[in-house]
Amino acid sequence: MVLVLALGDLHIPHRASDLPPKFKSMLVPGKIQHIVCTGNLCIKEVHDYLKTVCPDLHIARGEYDEETRYPETKTLTIGQFKLGVCHGHQVIPWGDLDSLAMLQRQLDVDILVTGHTHQFTAYKHEAGVVINPGSATGSYSSITYDVNPSFVLMDIDGLRVVVYVYELIDGEVKVDKIDFKKTTTSNA
Amino acid sequence: MNFCRYAALRRQLLIDPQVLKNGSCSPDVVMDNPLSQNPDSMWGRFFRNAELERMVDQDLTRLYPEHGSYFQTPGCQGMLRRILLLWCLRHPVYGYRQGMHELLAPLLYVLHIDLELLSEVRKVYEDHFTDIIDGFSFHENDWTHKFDFKKLPEYMEDCNGSESPVKINSLGELEPKIQTIVLLSDAYGTEGELGVVLSEKFLEHDAHCMFDALMNGTGGAVAMAEFFSPSPFGGSHTMFPPIIESSAALYHLLSIIDSSLHSHLVELGVEPQYFALRWLRVLFGREFALEDLLVIWDEIFAYENTKFNKPGTNDAESNVGVLNSSRGALIAAFAVSMILQLRSSLLATENATSCLQRLLNFPVDVDLLKLLAKAKSLQALAVEAINSTPLLILPRLHGRRNAGFTKAHIPSLDLTSPRTTLNMAHESYWEERWRVLHMEEERKQGSAASAEKQVPNRKKGWSERVRLRLSRTKCDPFRSKATFRKKNETDEGRKNIGGDVDFGHKIPAEVEEQDVKDTNFSTSETRCSSGCPGNEENSSNISDLSTPVRGTNDYVNMSGRSSVASNFSAEENDTDSVNFEPLQANPESSPLPVSELDPDDDTLNSTQNYHSVIKQAAGIKERKLLSDKFQLFWKFGRNINEGTSDRAAVSEDAIACDSGSDCNNVAGSSIVNGCNSTSGISKAEIIDQNLIFSLSDLGQSMLENIQVIESVFQQDPDQMGSLENCKNAIVGEGHITAMAALEELRKISNLLSEM
Repeated sequence: MVLVLALGDLHIPHRASDLPPKFKSMLVPGKIQHIVCTGNLCIKEVHDYLKTVCPDLHIARGEYDEETRYPETKTLTIGQFKLGVCHGHQVIPWGDLDSLAMLQRQLDVDILVTGHTHQFTAYKHEAGVVINPGSATGSYSSITYDVNPSFVLMDIDGLRVVVYVYELIDGEVKVDKIDFKKTTTSNA
Repeated sequence: MNFCRYAALRRQLLIDPQVLKNGSCSPDVVMDNPLSQNPDSMWGRFFRNAELERMVDQDLTRLYPEHGSYFQTPGCQGMLRRILLLWCLRHPVYGYRQGMHELLAPLLYVLHIDLELLSEVRKVYEDHFTDIIDGFSFHENDWTHKFDFKKLPEYMEDCNGSESPVKINSLGELEPKIQTIVLLSDAYGTEGELGVVLSEKFLEHDAHCMFDALMNGTGGAVAMAEFFSPSPFGGSHTMFPPIIESSAALYHLLSIIDSSLHSHLVELGVEPQYFALRWLRVLFGREFALEDLLVIWDEIFAYENTKFNKPGTNDAESNVGVLNSSRGALIAAFAVSMILQLRSSLLATENATSCLQRLLNFPVDVDLLKLLAKAKSLQALAVEAINSTPLLILPRLHGRRNAGFTKAHIPSLDLTSPRTTLNMAHESYWEERWRVLHMEEERKQGSAASAEKQVPNRKKGWSERVRLRLSRTKCDPFRSKATFRKKNETDEGRKNIGGDVDFGHKIPAEVEEQDVKDTNFSTSETRCSSGCPGNEENSSNISDLSTPVRGTNDYVNMSGRSSVASNFSAEENDTDSVNFEPLQANPESSPLPVSELDPDDDTLNSTQNYHSVIKQAAGIKERKLLSDKFQLFWKFGRNINEGTSDRAAVSEDAIACDSGSDCNNVAGSSIVNGCNSTSGISKAEIIDQNLIFSLSDLGQSMLENIQVIESVFQQDPDQMGSLENCKNAIVGEGHITAMAALEELRKISNLLSEM
């Protein structure tokens, strides 16, 4: 029952001023055990804010991040799952599943979290799961139209992960849920 | 049976939300997601449970470390945790409070020990087990079995003590207790018939049932859960949580049994809930070792838990809720016997913290059986106490709401006093002691006052206010007496004064009282003062007394202060009596029997004062009040001396008015206006300086007083010019008294100057 928050591409303060208030009210400290962030925060204040939500914070560097010392990619193990984080602008074409799958195999992770497209996607393929939490602030993107604020909460429990997707559509928070199970030999 | 219920509950409440989701079609993800703010969501519940579990775990890790071999094992801890969580989830009102785990632990321990013993017995007497069979009807679902079961621990204790397995051949040689165990066992069934009652598989369920019963009280009065509840007990009148009520009941019982210890504790400000909270919430679990505790619990649980019903009263008036059964009475009695055990050390300490330390670190090497025997003997008394007047205790708790132990002290005094004659005597005694203790405070406060008119009424220290209250309670009874006496007076002036309304004082009754008292006092003073040339204080007092001054405000002030003065009188018993002795004034006969005063005079001892108070009642008290007033006035006079500047003008008049007059003046109540104006009661000053002053100083001060008074007279628009005129042209009745008082003052000053 480990809760992992995945979000990114906030682009604060350049393209957005803050998280949507409804999201902020949901992100209460104490519930979430880990945060993985795809990058493009961009400033330290956002980093600090995320730290208050959960002290265990993993960030990969986005191209607009002002903190230069974030790593390009990061891997961590939570429960039975291996997670990988990368911003995604390094993987060309941006948002292409096969290329991302290549990265996933490279990192050897079960769950790959990337961003940059500001669009929520969650793919399951034979090697594992690729999740794009979208942009938590709904900031502008040159490659995506009509960006909605969104983020992802993963509930990792043993060999099973439940992915909750929180999207702010027309001012309302919509939640969706996806189940993934990991088989011991392969990820299906 | 309850096993099934428990199992179902366990499954239902402690299960992961995720697993549940598997079965059911999860309805609304918007509501049920982990971040949902919705309190009803499964995740919300999950987080709340997690919080609860965290608290429980915190306590469990610290449970009984000395018996860690059992309690710290993961199996036991897991069971404890589950039981506690389940109970708390079922009773969200109480939540989880520290202490619940300590109630549950011994129960689990007992069950565990029984199981162990049973298996041991089985091992030893295996061959016997197969022989015994039929003839025993076994009651299933029998609640009494559960309660009997609690008595088994007693047997088990003894068995634990004598652990050596005895090799015997036949059943008859077995100890009767083991015999019963053996007889109850059966070759059939999982663990035999006994298995229904005592079974390893259902250990947890049993423990849960027992715990539940303990907390709920099974319909009886003592429901342990109440001790954890923050809200007032259902049927009680008061707004206090049951634990506070029960603590109050404890103190109530203590006051009946040993009121000196009780008053000592109350005086120190040791409120019962400081230690009783821990004692009651864990049923003395923290005060005794586990083995001893089990013995105590045996006794407690042996008593019936049915609620008492006071005949003739409806529920609205009923009793201190939680302890309202014979079991509750035993609990209270046991607590009291524990306090009594520490009696000597508690009485020896003079501050609250060491008392509490003593109470909270109950000695380990205590004779438990003696304690229990004592508790049982007190139990009947406790029953009666709990049934009798618990509600009276509760108003006292209002006093507790505020700070300062003096405050707490007073209400408790109030309450104990009407209780019994024994308490009555004690109350007076303690009141005296307490007042004596606070005299110093008073003086210090008084000396700090400035020459303000209002200052006399000033920021009254709490002790003063209280004393005021106390004195008022004392004043009241003889207010009537005073008026009665007054009627006996033949002096016209006095009567006039009594009836006088010109002064505009709002408290005529008090005025009368003062009048009479002053009169009495003056006469007595005059008598007594004959012996002492040097007691300027008293003479000054008299002089002051004899100078009546008008002024409505001042009057009222003074009347208010008179009660304060009466306080002083009571306090100043010692000093007053001393002062009385050497008082020298005109040896005029007074209508009052002053001789009574003499026996009091040579007593500095408060107990003697106490006796005098009791013996002579109003008379003495009046005199004392008067004496205080005198001192009060004198202080004012002194302050006037320091503060005023009209002396010159007044002195002329003072001299002019010099004439002999009756010492018996009335106007006692007619208060020195000027005195009022100054303020500052500094009794300490007076008394201390008593011996220091010379006569001349005294005379001087008196003259100054007179001057001030007369200046005040002059200030008064209705006043006539000189005192002589006052004498002749009486505008108001008060003037007579004023005049008389002034004359007396002069006379006394003359006397003094002559000496």
